Amino acid sequence: MIYGDKNSGTIVWGATGRQGSFHINLMNEYARSVGGRGVVAGVTPGKGGQEVCGVPVYTSAKEALAEQDAETAVIFVPAGAAGDAIMEAAHAGLDLAVAITEHIPVHDAMRAIAYAEICGCAVIGPNCPGLLSPGEQKLGIMPAHLATRGHVGVISRSGTLTYEVVDELTRAGIGQSTIVGIGGDPVIGQTFADVLAQFEEDPETEAVVLIGEVGGNLEEEGVRSTDLPIVSYIAGVTAPPNKRMGHAGAIIEGGEGDARSKIERLKTLGVPVASRPSEIPGMLRDLL
Amino acid sequence: MKLLEFEAKDVFAREGIRIPKGVVVRKGEGLPPHLEEIGDRVVVKAQVDVGGRGKAGGVLMADAGNAGEAVQHLFGATIKGVPVNSVLIEERLPIEHEYYVSIAIDRSKKEPVILFADTGGVNIEETAKTNPDAIRTVAVSPLFADVPAFLLRELTGTAPAGVRDAVNRLYRVFCKNDALLAEINPLVTTPNGIYAADAKLIIDDNSLARQGIAVNRDLTEREKEAEKHGFSYVELEGEIGVIGNGAGLTMATLDLIDHFRGRAANFLDVGGGADQERVKHAVRLVAGMPSVRVIIVNLLGGITRCDEVARGIIEAGVSQEVIVRLAGTNEEEGRRLLAEKGYRMLGSMDETVRAAVEATA
Repeated sequence: MIYGDKNSGTIVWGATGRQGSFHINLMNEYARSVGGRGVVAGVTPGKGGQEVCGVPVYTSAKEALAEQDAETAVIFVPAGAAGDAIMEAAHAGLDLAVAITEHIPVHDAMRAIAYAEICGCAVIGPNCPGLLSPGEQKLGIMPAHLATRGHVGVISRSGTLTYEVVDELTRAGIGQSTIVGIGGDPVIGQTFADVLAQFEEDPETEAVVLIGEVGGNLEEEGVRSTDLPIVSYIAGVTAPPNKRMGHAGAIIEGGEGDARSKIERLKTLGVPVASRPSEIPGMLRDLL
Repeated sequence: MKLLEFEAKDVFAREGIRIPKGVVVRKGEGLPPHLEEIGDRVVVKAQVDVGGRGKAGGVLMADAGNAGEAVQHLFGATIKGVPVNSVLIEERLPIEHEYYVSIAIDRSKKEPVILFADTGGVNIEETAKTNPDAIRTVAVSPLFADVPAFLLRELTGTAPAGVRDAVNRLYRVFCKNDALLAEINPLVTTPNGIYAADAKLIIDDNSLARQGIAVNRDLTEREKEAEKHGFSYVELEGEIGVIGNGAGLTMATLDLIDHFRGRAANFLDVGGGADQERVKHAVRLVAGMPSVRVIIVNLLGGITRCDEVARGIIEAGVSQEVIVRLAGTNEEEGRRLLAEKGYRMLGSMDETVRAAVEATA
């Protein structure tokens, strides 16, 4: 397991919202089915004293932690306040904050992630589906029934593409150790390199599926940082070019970021790259 | 969203960056009186959102006396295909030296990165390629409100102290305005001080509302319609309409259509947690494209619930065939609802895409 196990307790930010309450229920159903602790508290400013799906809601992290033991945060707060929620979770001493929220202003994400790092709190996301260690813990919104316990780690920038790949793996009889959606935003907390470092320490993980997409060069950085066997898939070969950032962006990124050149560089580094998700299980078998 | 030069300059000026005296003229308006107060020698600049505007004829030199002709000339022209709806008439600065400064976000460092060059101007992209060492860069912690002085010294080298001050003020502009890019090229020294001779500012689309910007002008009309419903949408040239959730899965669906030698008509990501209403609007938007002959809905529910998706598809009730692939949260209920209405549902992405390509063959 990486980033915690069934003994981890979770606090959900935005617990009283539509998404928050819906997914507290699913996360706790999962926790019950594996004998885990699951969501022990919710935080919504101004709504302390309420209950959501049997979980007590507090006005602040401080109040929640005075009464409940927790190590991780899952954040469903609307975009404008989500950066603040990440910082509150980090400041309160939680080890991990999983930010599901999309459309967080990138400056907020940058600041929150930098502050969390100072506090010793790892951030997964934002704009991500969270993580799932089958049989142990579910943090976020991944449909757990698609996954099955095994020895392949999955890291992905795209939420739904992760489910697609996990579904293919499970149907091919290949189980997963932990599935991590790191998020599709320009600035994210845990990168491919960070998660791969965790997988290297994890005795259960024997190989990794790395799912990337157009933009940036985090995939290549990750591959360079590890010796683990990797199979990759990169989405966006036929996508029209993204709106350019202006030429300063092009100077920084050195023209990197389109899917074809990314695939070429991964192949040069010795990583097999699938041309469609359904090829991934076969390529993994070849590798092992 | 990208601001026009004069809008960016207004923002820069509010942060204390000196900008040339100038006046904006919109198409259909007369020339403002007292142009001579701007200066005897002026420069007339088309306010269009294209790169390389100067080389494309969008920047003209004039005197206060004949500025009107230059203005009329630009209103009658298109710059790289873009019509000119406003121009900026500015004093021509007595330039001593040109520098280049820009600030963007480095995805790997997760920090703003400032780029600075001792030679600015229109050839900066060429310099970046041929002499990358001429461009210095520093990363700044996003927790800082100002750039530390030692970093400013490292960045600007022997440039005058006023240049360091301008760079720091640009950093404040970048942070306060939720910018993805803030650039001054050239940043010029003159006998009267240091000026931003040009200005570029791109605002994070996720921050437009709190920046008080109501409309994203960078979008086409159909994209605006899509944005209203919270979709990410791009039009393409094929016959297969594509609706997916998540940019990655939707892109993968387009790649797979190409793999099976079909042609996608569009990219539409309904986003996370799409409810019945949003799915209905998505299906109708795609069905409204005349080229679309069949529609793929490829949705994997995480935060999105399959039963809501199914209800949205059914409520849209479009004439084209909708081939559905649903999996994830509340999948059973979603499939049951669609089965009742006779929709074709396939189990895998490969099967779904192959069926759609066959339907348009």
